[in-house]
Amino acid sequence: MNVKVYRDWFIVGTLALMLWAASPTLAIFIHLPSGSEKFSELWLLGPGHKAEDYPFNVRVNETYSIYVGVRNQLGYSAYYRVYVKLRNQTQPLPVASDATPSKLPALYEFNFFVVKGQVWETLLNFKILDIERSNDFMIVNNVSINDFPFRVDSISIWIMKMNGFYYQLFFELWLYNMTSQGFQYHNRFVGLWLNVTA
Amino acid sequence: MSVLRFSLALMMLLAFASQAFVSLTFAEVSEYKASLALATAEEAIVSAYQEALKAEEAGANVSELYVQLNKAGEYLARAHIEYKSGDFEKATNFANSSRSIGVEVQNAAVGLKDSALSQGMQRILFTMIASVVGVASIALGSLWLWHLLKKRYGSS
Repeated sequence: MNVKVYRDWFIVGTLALMLWAASPTLAIFIHLPSGSEKFSELWLLGPGHKAEDYPFNVRVNETYSIYVGVRNQLGYSAYYRVYVKLRNQTQPLPVASDATPSKLPALYEFNFFVVKGQVWETLLNFKILDIERSNDFMIVNNVSINDFPFRVDSISIWIMKMNGFYYQLFFELWLYNMTSQGFQYHNRFVGLWLNVTA
Repeated sequence: MSVLRFSLALMMLLAFASQAFVSLTFAEVSEYKASLALATAEEAIVSAYQEALKAEEAGANVSELYVQLNKAGEYLARAHIEYKSGDFEKATNFANSSRSIGVEVQNAAVGLKDSALSQGMQRILFTMIASVVGVASIALGSLWLWHLLKKRYGSS
């Protein structure tokens, strides 16, 4: 047997073994880019912690509950803020095409941190405290969120087709931006239509 | 007599006016205090968050830091709500609580980052030495084996 025939195989095997031995050190200095998409999820769940039984027909002075949740898939631990806003049918929603938030003032807010890949979730209780009503319009004067009262004075007109006075409770997700040193609208919002009845 | 009455009336008027002025000034001061407390709390939380991120990058276990930071965030949100509703005293108290937690978290994060960095350096050093020894051993071992094989089978 002539070992020179196997020389190339021997060198390749030796180099492979050397690469294997060096791989822990190489892994420290060489970082391959991750192909996964970076994003955040924002959701609402009903009181049973499922995507069902969302409050819709809401009566004055009755408490309703929903869950608000955020999942962080940004690849780093993030600082979020969720603004809770109330609008009637004509007031502005956020605009997804140019990532601008609604101009309506926030009633309530949540400030929280989510470790990368983790979830934050909280229960939110809300109640319509008092309204004024005529045949054609309704004014929601006060609402409470997590037992905290807010004056809203929001007018809604009767919608014949849908047989009700409609409002939308919606949630905007904002993210702390290290570069601009401030919160920026993260172009995510979820909402809940409410048919307010006396 | 009329001069005396006039003076008395003027003094009472001035006393009422000064009371209103003082209470207005107090309200402005407490609003200013609350907004200052809010700004300080925001700053403390952001600084704590930045340190927590650095500690996390250094490989420290930061889950407890984020639990604390969430508490600070909760207080800060409450402070904003109280401020908007005009209760500046409560807003100040919540903002101060938030700031205190923020400062504590920041200090803890700096400690965790430093210890994670030194542990990380030791780990890197150990890994590099182990790799160098491994690569050298394989290279020398292969040369020795090749030499041995060549000696035994090379001529046949």
